[in-house]
Formats: sequence, structure tokens, C-alpha cells
Amino acid sequence: MESPRLASTTSRLVMQGIAKTFGSTNALRDVDLEVLPGEVHAIVGENGAGKSTLMQILSGAIKPDRGQMFLDGKNYAPRHPRQAREVGIGMIYQELSIVPDLTVEENIMLGNEPMCGPVIRKSLLRQRALKALAHFQHPDLQPNHLAGSLSLAVKQLVEIARALASGCRLLIFDEPTSSLGKEEISQLFRVIRGLKAQGVSILYISHHLEEIHAISDRITILRDGASVATLTTSQSNDDQIIGHMVGRAIDDLYPQKKSNRQSKILCAESIRTHHHAGCTSFELHRGEVLGIAGLIGSGRTELLRCLFGLAKPHSGNITLDGKVIDPCHRIGWQHGIGYLSENRKEEGLALDLPISENLTLSHLHAYSRCGVLSPRSQAKGTQHWIKQLKIKCASHNQTTRNLSGGNQQKIAFARLLDHGVEIFLLDEPTRGIDISAKASMYEIIRTLVDDAEKPRAVLMVSSYLPELFALCDRIAVMHDGQLSSTVEIASTDAHEVMRIATGSQPDFLAHTRA
Amino acid sequence: MNLRASLKMLGPLVALLVVYFGFGISEPAMFNRTVIINILSQSVIVGIAAVGMTLIIISGGIDLSVGSIIAWTGVIAAFLIDQSLSPILVFLTAILCGGLCGFLNGSLSIWLRLMPFIVTLGTMQIYRGSAKIFTGGTPINLPFDETRYQLWMGGTGFPYGIFLLLVICIFTSWILHYTRFGRHAIAIGSSPATARLCGIPVLRTQIFVYVIGGAMAGLAAMMNVAKSSQGDPTTALGLELDIIAAVVLGGARLTGGQGSVIGAVIGALLMTCIRTGCVMHGIPTPWTEVITGIIIIIAVVVDRLRQRHTLC
Amino acid sequence: MRIFHLTKIASLSAICALGLGCNSTTKDEKRTRIVMIPKGTTHLFWKSVETGAKQAAKEHDIDLTFIGPQREDDRSQQIDLVTNQAQKNDAVVLAPLDRVALRGVALQVAQMGKPVVIIDSSLADSDSFITSYIATDNREAGRMAARKIAELLDGNGHVAMMRYLQGSASTEQREEGFLEEIKKHPSISVVSSEQYAGATASQAQDTATNLLTRFTRDGKLTIDGIFTSNQSSTYGMLQSLRAMSHAGNVKFIGFDGDASFIDAIKKKEMQGTLLQDPARMGYLGIKVAYAKLKGEPYEAIIDTGATMLTLENLEQPDIADLIQSQVP
Repeated sequence: MESPRLASTTSRLVMQGIAKTFGSTNALRDVDLEVLPGEVHAIVGENGAGKSTLMQILSGAIKPDRGQMFLDGKNYAPRHPRQAREVGIGMIYQELSIVPDLTVEENIMLGNEPMCGPVIRKSLLRQRALKALAHFQHPDLQPNHLAGSLSLAVKQLVEIARALASGCRLLIFDEPTSSLGKEEISQLFRVIRGLKAQGVSILYISHHLEEIHAISDRITILRDGASVATLTTSQSNDDQIIGHMVGRAIDDLYPQKKSNRQSKILCAESIRTHHHAGCTSFELHRGEVLGIAGLIGSGRTELLRCLFGLAKPHSGNITLDGKVIDPCHRIGWQHGIGYLSENRKEEGLALDLPISENLTLSHLHAYSRCGVLSPRSQAKGTQHWIKQLKIKCASHNQTTRNLSGGNQQKIAFARLLDHGVEIFLLDEPTRGIDISAKASMYEIIRTLVDDAEKPRAVLMVSSYLPELFALCDRIAVMHDGQLSSTVEIASTDAHEVMRIATGSQPDFLAHTRA
Repeated sequence: MNLRASLKMLGPLVALLVVYFGFGISEPAMFNRTVIINILSQSVIVGIAAVGMTLIIISGGIDLSVGSIIAWTGVIAAFLIDQSLSPILVFLTAILCGGLCGFLNGSLSIWLRLMPFIVTLGTMQIYRGSAKIFTGGTPINLPFDETRYQLWMGGTGFPYGIFLLLVICIFTSWILHYTRFGRHAIAIGSSPATARLCGIPVLRTQIFVYVIGGAMAGLAAMMNVAKSSQGDPTTALGLELDIIAAVVLGGARLTGGQGSVIGAVIGALLMTCIRTGCVMHGIPTPWTEVITGIIIIIAVVVDRLRQRHTLC
Repeated sequence: MRIFHLTKIASLSAICALGLGCNSTTKDEKRTRIVMIPKGTTHLFWKSVETGAKQAAKEHDIDLTFIGPQREDDRSQQIDLVTNQAQKNDAVVLAPLDRVALRGVALQVAQMGKPVVIIDSSLADSDSFITSYIATDNREAGRMAARKIAELLDGNGHVAMMRYLQGSASTEQREEGFLEEIKKHPSISVVSSEQYAGATASQAQDTATNLLTRFTRDGKLTIDGIFTSNQSSTYGMLQSLRAMSHAGNVKFIGFDGDASFIDAIKKKEMQGTLLQDPARMGYLGIKVAYAKLKGEPYEAIIDTGATMLTLENLEQPDIADLIQSQVP
């Protein structure tokens, strides 16, 4: 059975011609993958390209229809996840799997406890957990602390330790940085490099090309269920990778900008939130995208929530079309303000409701007569936006949960459009959605502001600098609740933005503007 | 570890002492041996059932049928005693019968993928109805000359039931902290997805938790029979709420993952203490209910404030 | 998956079986249908009521439904029962759980032109629409208990009364009657009458134990007499007295019948218990409802009387019959 050509003794993992069909959809058509010992191998691809199916096959959750896998030269065909763990494949999931009410050491050894009859051997458990923790040397990581009280980044370390404690040879990371800050990401990378040095192989799945460049040795790109290319990271660039991912050139990703800035619509004066010391002032005009850059936790989300009226500012004034809004009576919708939450799954959408309910939720009165809803007009309104935004779904009655992230985000966005708001507060509008969906989000945002008849205003928070630079007319940077002066996008660059965001030079932009 | 566990118990314990000494200061009779034994023995039934319920709640479940299990098992036990079966066999049958009821609760909610709240809402009626059908609706009295069982809940000295509660409480607490089953039960209640991922036998553990809960209810039923010398199909109506209240007073979180067996027993003692204190003071019954409710809410709120404090 | 289907099939067939079962009772259209709704179905008392009612039903070939709420304090379930059963029956015989809460539905039934007979407990402001009120004169029964205790204590001592449940009219009347009569004896003081036993015997036992503890000094009871006003509270009190070894040291008058009460009277642990005549109540309830339907004469208020059961009269034939009817 063993194929001498691929299952060479030097490969940690070989996947060969893997295919999997669910009903009528080809989730995977033909995937080849080779991971070397001590290699960080990145896997990229749009959502739906088959990454998650591939990982499920690797972890034993599902069986492939065709193809073979070899682990360290031996045929590998796991029947269930437990078996995958036993042979040394560990997974670190996007949604961290940590038991908050158990201690760190118990979490590390969970399901793998050293036993004496029915009783756990606590000293041996501690000993083994400490051995796994020795990889990190992290001060917050005490074996007898409750896991629930740890920060996200440290929880992730606990999960890695769990994989190591079960003797893993291949560690799979699925979007490990999605909820980490910059400092924590570099800390994670240090850990990954340490593991690599000890000969552990890493499969690294991510949307963030910068991260992939920073950490990986090789990249395999998936498109439509097939592996289309394997590149050596040091010899590849973003354009190449994205080209393989979308099967087209990167130029199409960002739309053309027009200069359409008009009258002032929203004006924030010395807004201070309850969480941060700094204060924020800016002006937003019709016909422009104003970007707010900054690190996670710098107070950008809090600012948007204050503007929309979900939170009360500590102090400061908000002026809308020249009129000051009373902070006690500010629900954004009433003033033509719409807010797209960064937390799509919990706050942005009611995932168990159908598309039409979600889309029309904010102004059902437009779809009802005398308080009685008309599902017909709801459906009609929804279908309009499904067509307009090219939302891929079976019907307007489909439950939102089953849609892809990109399509879900489009629905959340369509709610603002349907409501007819003038000011769009967008919080990480492209988080966790694939490249094509991103491209269409960008296009929608630009059409809104570039509309000749009725230009809308967009305030966009993003942690992804390239999209801010490609999309915004002006940009400001948040650092610990303090917003820098707003500058034209052309007069600054990513380097300067990062310096303000990290606080190394607080008002750098002010000089460049002067 | 042990420090944390004992801290968790501290809240309810302080509440118990405050209430007890509060009543005791104005009525010194509260400190009498008899009154103390009364409070202890009146907490046995709720206490034993609360130990089982703590396990169930920690693992993320709930059992509303526990009052009905007590009635149903009690009726069977009374019938067997009436047939002059030996006490050991009666006890074993009661534990087995309760365990089977628990097994049904657990397996129904797991195999039919129903929420335990709904399953046990159903079985609550099923067990209660079965008890009424079995007895024709009237209580089964123990033979008048049967005195062996009275020692468990009455008699002149320390009723055995108090020791039983103590033993069960310590043993279950040990199971929860030191066995794989106990830690897995906490893991399942705290984060079911993680438990599954780590290869924990989730279904088996959950069913076993319900079996233990049912078996404890069976023992509580034996104590109830011993106490009232009859198997009454209408007994323990609404007792599940007292039991759940005791568990919550003991610091458990209704969504699972947290809870203390010893705390639950203290919770049961707290509620009995309020009731006894009110009778000793001649406080009319409706006021007793109001006071119990207020103290439950205060105790839980204070406990949560304290926990938030220690977290920060 | 298969298990799931099997359960589905099983439950469906169960539902079908139930449906068939229901149909079979409706085949005979001509018989008079009367429903009797007691306060509960588990107490022996209601079993005796049912026995009497069945006898009357047999005499007149009546299709009798006997159905009560699961808990003796579930007013809303009883209200629903009245509403639902009134649709299917020609007359309603009701033992209301609450003198006010049940008035509305009873009035509705009466307005449908169906006779409403009230048994056991009274209904507030209902003389105008109910057919008849058939009950023990509970106040008088309470007075009887008080007179007996006064007699046993030679007119002086401390007495405690444990109440049953709030809102239960019949027991409240007994309790009031007792307190009224006991006041006539200036040397007898009531030291406690504020505790309610609760719905079950087990709860009653806890309350009784606490109450007795309160009145225990140096191992001796400081009270001389006890009165409890229904079956479950009497049972709880008796169990508690026995457990605390006070049984026999205090004069104890209970209410209703139970094998253990007879046993206690024989052992001189109880000095008496008041027996109502539930079988007669059930019998007359159906009789009166039937008479009203047939246009025959009947009485608007009937007292079925209470009998004090003591060691002395235990063996009398009429008393033995009465015991027979309520104690298995």
C-alpha cells in the first residue's frame, strides 16, 4: 500500500489525492500536501476552498472518499478524533476549547489523566502538565490557576500544552490569531518557532498573509477543493498567493476611488469613553470613507458604540448636521446612523432567524400595516438585496446560521442599506470573510460614498491596514482612546500609522499635516 | 485547590451561621441539642437529594423529577417493608429504583437529544403518576410495630440519617475532586465542546451523573419513608425546588461547571434553619416563606459579589 | 435513529389507544352525566366521598366522573377542571379548594343552566346560584374539638393548634370554631396558632417537630393539649409526637380518619379524632344534583355532621361502620 515515492522517510505528513463529497457538493476534489518535520506549513484559501474539510479529515472527524495519508511514513487512516490524538496530531481550534472551571493542569491533561483505578494521580498529573508548560515560560501560566481567569492568548497556550502533553508530532492551528493582539501574536510566533526547533511540524491556517510570511516555511494554496500550488514562502509575494487563491489578479480586489467629499454630517467633539483616558474629535463628511486604525483594545469599538448610542460617553458632544444630540436619547437608527458590529455571530445577526427577518429587523414598521407584519413585502424587500449584493443562499427564508461568513456579513450590511441610513459605522467589516466576499464588500462601501446623487458617509474601523489604505479617503489612528488628527490617506503610509497605533510617537500625523 | 474549594463553601457557611446565631440571640433555645438535631435531621432528605442534584447541575443538567422520584421510590420501599423484606434489601431496592429513574432521565435526554429540563418535566409527571397508580392514591402505611426504620430519622439519639448525609456528602465531594469521573463531569458542564474534543466519554459520564442523582433521590426517599412511616405518593411535591435552591445556595451555577456538594448541604441546612427558627419564634408561616425567599436571594447575590471581587 | 423511530411509533400508538379509550365512554348518550370534582384524589377522605358518590350513581344509573386536581393547593387546575368538565356533564358537584377563586367558574356553570352542588367547603356569596351546600358544619366540628380538649384538661392548661393550609375554607372554619370555643375557658390559653402545616404529611411533620421543640423544657412538654385540623396535619403531628417520645403525654385531638389514628387512640396517644361523613357527603352530593335535574325536591343546606371518635365509642357498630367507610 505504501507509496515509496511520496511517503519518503523524511516527510512528517503526506496527503495524496484526497477527495471528499458531501451529497452533490465536491468539498475536496484533489488535495496533495506534504509537511516536513520541524516545518511550519501554511494553508491558505478562500472560505469554501476546503480548508476545514481537510482539517476534519486530518483530525479523524470525517473519512475521505479517496486518497491516502501517511504519518512519518506509516499509513494513517484515523477512524475518530481520539485516534488522531493518539498518533500525535493535535489541533488548536479557532473557538478555543478550554474548560474554564478546571485548572490549567487539569485542562492540559483532560481526557488523558494519569490514573490509579478511578482516582486521578494528582502529583503525576502536575508533573506531566509542568513538563508540557516548560515549553513556554509564561509568567501567567500557573498549573493550579483556573483556566477561566486567563486571557485568550494564555488559554491558547494551555491548548497548545494539551496537544504537546499528548505527545503530538503535528500541530494544526486554525486561524490562531483571530482574537489576539499584536504583542500576543508575536508571543505565539515565538512559541511556534520553539516547537519547530524541537521538530514538531505545524500546519498553519490563516487569512492573514503577513502572518503567513512571518511564520511559515512553505505555503500550500487551496482553491475549489484542490491544492493549486505549494510555494516556498521566502520566494513568493502576496500577489502571487492571492492570484492562486482567487484565480485572478489582485488588482480586482480593491475598487477605484472617486473624490466625492461633500458637506460635514457628523462631528464628534472630545468624546471620552468610560474605558479609556484619551479623547476623540473628528469630522465626518458625506461622500467619504474615514478609516480608524489602531490596535485591538485601543478603544475603537467603544467609540463606535458611543456614536451609535449603545454606550454612553463619559463626556463630549456629538453633532449631527449641526445639531447636538442629547446623549440620553441617541439610538442611532433614529438619526440615520447604522452600526455594523464586529461580533457578527452574537450581535450582528440572530443566526437562527431566516435571512428576511434579520435583514428587516431594524425597521419592521416599514413592512407592517397597523402593527401586523406582511411577510410578502418582507420577502420582496429581502430579495431585492439578495440580488443587489449577490448573497448566495437558497431562499430568503433560509436560516442565517448555515450561510458562509461573507454572506452573513452581507446580510448584516444589507440591514443598514435597507434601513436607508446615511452614516455607516463599520466595525471590522471584513473580519473572517474570504477574499471574494471582501472584494464585494469593498465595492459596496465605495459605491455608497461615491454615489453622485446621495453620497453616504462611512466610518470604518479595521485592523487590516491594506484595506484601510485602499478604501479610505482619510484616516485617523486610535491609541488608548486618543484619536490622532485626521489626515488624507495619500499623505501618510502604513509605517507611520503603526507608529502612532503602538504609541511610539503620539502625534506624528499632526506634523505631516502641517 | 483545596483552598479554593473551601472558599467556595465559605459564602453559604457564613450565611448559615449568621441566620443561626441571628435566631439564637433572640431565642437561646435555638442552641439546645434537640433543636440542633431537629435542624440536622430535617435537612437530611433535601440534603441527600441536593448532593445528587449538585452533580447533575455541575455537569450542566437539571432534574426536575427528583421530588417525584422520592415519592415513587418511597412508595415502592413502603410496599416492600410492608411485605417484610429485610431492611438491607429494601435500601438496595430503593437505591436501584432511584438509579433506574435517573438512568431513564439521562438516557432519554441524551438519546432523544432533548433538554433535560423538558425530559425531567415529563418524567416528573410520569413518576408521580406511577406512584399514585401503584398505591391507588392513598399512602402505604408501614406496619405499626415496625420500628427499625425510625432510628434513621427519629428516635432519642442522633438519627442515623444525619451520619448518612455526612458520609454521602464527603464521599461525593471526594468523587468530584479526585476521580476522573468527577473532573469529567465538571468539564462537561463547563465546556461540553471541549470535553468532546478531548475524548471524554461525554454520554456515558452524563448518564452516570443522572444515575447517581437518581440513586441519591432513592436514598432520600428511604429517609422520607423512615421519617413519616409511610410511602405517600403525594409527598415531596415541589421539593425539587427546595433541592435546587439548596444547590444554588451552595454556590452552584445553573449553567454548569461550578458547584459544591458540601455547599449544597449547607444550603439545605440554611433553609431548614430558617424554618425552624421561624417556628421557634412563633413567626407565622407565610412570613417564613417570605423570609426564606429573601435570604435565598441575598445569599446568592452576596456570593456572586464576593466571587466577582476575588476574580478582579 | 432507529430508537427514535420506535419511540415515535410507540407514542403514536399510545395516543391512539388513549383516544379509543376515551371514545368508549361516550357511547351511551342517554344516561345522566354528573362530574364530581374533589379537592384532591389522594387523601382517604376523598376516597370515601367517591365511594358514597358511586353508590348514589349506581342507584340512579348515573354516568359519574370523579376527577380532582393533583395538588390540594392547585386552585387554577381545579378551575380548569370545572370549566372543562362542565362542557361534558349535566351537573357539577364541587368541593372548592378556595372559597373565592372557584366562585367565578361555578357561577358560569350555573349560568349555563347546569346545577352546581357544593360539598365539603363553602363558596363565597353563592347562595343565589348554587343548588345546595352539603358539608360538615366545620365550625361546629371545631367547637366539638375545643369542648373535648377543655373537658380532658379540666378547663385549664396550655393548648397549641397547628393549622393546615392558608385559604382552605373548611379547615379554617374548624380552626376558628376551635379558637372561639376555647376562649370560653379563661384558664386555657392558646400558646400557638400561627403555624401552618403545609400540603403534605412530611411537611406537617417538620412543622410539628419544630413546634413541639419550642414547647419542650427539660425534656417535658409545656403544653397540655393539641388540635390539628385535617388528615395530613394530624398524621404529621402524630408521627412527630411519637418520634420525640411525647406521644401520650399530651391530650391530642385530631381530625379525619386513618388507620394510624385508630391505632394511636387505642394506645392512648390520641384522645380523639373527628370523623366527618365523607361517604354521606358524596352520596348526597350526587343525589341532590340528580334531584335538581329531575325536578325533584331537595334541601338547600345539608349538614352531614361530625362524630368524635374516642377510645370509648370505637367499638360501637355505627361508629365502626363510619370508620370502615374511611379507613382501609
